[in-house]
Amino acid sequence: MQMQKPQPRINSINRPFWSGCNDDQLLIQQCGSPACGRWFYFPRAGCPYCGATEFSWKPASGEGVIVTYTVVRRPQHPSFAPELPYCFIAVKLKEGPLMYSRLRRGYSPELNLIGKKVSVVFTEHGPGQRLPFFDLEER
Amino acid sequence: MSNDFDNVFIVGAGQTTYEKKTEKPVIRLIWEATRMALDDAGLAWNEVDGLGVTCFTLGPDNSVTLAEHMGFQCKFLYQGMYGGASCIIGMHHAARAIQAGDADVIVIVAADVFDVGSHMSMNRNPGQQDYMGIWGYGAANGVFALQTRLYMERYGAVPEDFGRLCLSFRENARLNPNALLRQPLTMDDYLNARQIADPLRLYDCVLPCSGADAIVMVSRKVADRLSGPRSRLAAAGEIHNYPSDDIYALSAGWETFTPRMWDKAGASPADMDFVQLYDDYPVMSFIQLEGMGFAERGTAAELFKNNDCTVRGSFPVNTGGGQLSAGQCGASGGMIGVYEAVTQLHGHAGDRQIPDCRKGVVSGYGAVSYGRGLSASACVLERV
Repeated sequence: MQMQKPQPRINSINRPFWSGCNDDQLLIQQCGSPACGRWFYFPRAGCPYCGATEFSWKPASGEGVIVTYTVVRRPQHPSFAPELPYCFIAVKLKEGPLMYSRLRRGYSPELNLIGKKVSVVFTEHGPGQRLPFFDLEER
Repeated sequence: MSNDFDNVFIVGAGQTTYEKKTEKPVIRLIWEATRMALDDAGLAWNEVDGLGVTCFTLGPDNSVTLAEHMGFQCKFLYQGMYGGASCIIGMHHAARAIQAGDADVIVIVAADVFDVGSHMSMNRNPGQQDYMGIWGYGAANGVFALQTRLYMERYGAVPEDFGRLCLSFRENARLNPNALLRQPLTMDDYLNARQIADPLRLYDCVLPCSGADAIVMVSRKVADRLSGPRSRLAAAGEIHNYPSDDIYALSAGWETFTPRMWDKAGASPADMDFVQLYDDYPVMSFIQLEGMGFAERGTAAELFKNNDCTVRGSFPVNTGGGQLSAGQCGASGGMIGVYEAVTQLHGHAGDRQIPDCRKGVVSGYGAVSYGRGLSASACVLERV
């Protein structure tokens, strides 16, 4: 029997992000203050840079660069065991925020991923939830 | 220089044996460490009038129901919510309270009943659980593998650099009867250990375990009728969510408050007889040394190359073996360095005693959320 993966704890603050994933859209918050206008992630009740509570959910480009990475061999949740090992990555999105995710491709030990360009791709996470993963950009 | 806490003294310390498994409930461990610290000080149970506790597994109890359970009538309470940074912050609050005359005998205690399984399944904040965990992250090991990889890339550190730190701590643990890991560790053992979360190997990761640490802080009025050794909090500091806009600054902000801490303590890194770091991972130990002014950014590895960092050496670090070799009792990971510092300053460190030990620094770090620990703390302690 396959174990159920952990599901996001959806609430009024983060719902647009998670439902965006199900439409294969990477929706990120952008501050609505003209003096600020910065993008932010993870989902918040307001802009962490200027405190504005006006913001909009906008589709991000889905492009970014890997800042750092690790190979997961012992996941926090046992439901991921059949997929081991895999690359867990920190991606700096073109819009600015840092997003944690995974490479869709398998793990290759010789590859230093730092600085590599990636683009978003959506995968099935479990019943009713899709998730953004990333692919290495083809050269 | 006048000290902010010239009417506050640390007069006792207690630590249970660290165990991989225990049948004891966590409140029993808290009780035992508290009893040991009070006995060490020569104080009676019913003299306690303040309590500061940090414990991940205390719920549904909290600081006030713990006071009720233990029979302490309290004029001061603190409950640490900042993981391994909490205990030093609690001591700082307690020192202010005693100096202000609010309380006279405050116990600062931390404990947890942990093993690898319960550590993996603990309840987590949104930053970790919802924005890392859903993708299958590797818990704390995975979070600090990301930090370690970047540190290596940015500063050219190699596995042997982290290994030297682990070997040195292990040498100290071999002299500590309360430490869990006391067998010798060689560089070959370190480098050939299994990968946990690349680039972290087995000996880069702490062993979750069970145990408790406590100290007692008292007013001058109380200290003056005690006959044992005493020490004091010369200065302390804390910072949280630093820098707020960069998870990968490879800093949690020690450099923002330690210049003021050194100034208030009337001391500098060169004056320290020991350093007790929050060694959840070697990389964070390096970052603490750099942030507190013991090394330039990216160069802490040199300290372990150029010094003997054991208790026998010129630059003793984590003199009881630290969490990496003694074990990490959950939130008590933030207290093990304090316990060890007080034990050294009071001359009670047995086989691992640093001769003529007068001053030392302890750092704390914790509250792991989205990609990093959010809370940093440190204090200077001195024998008086």
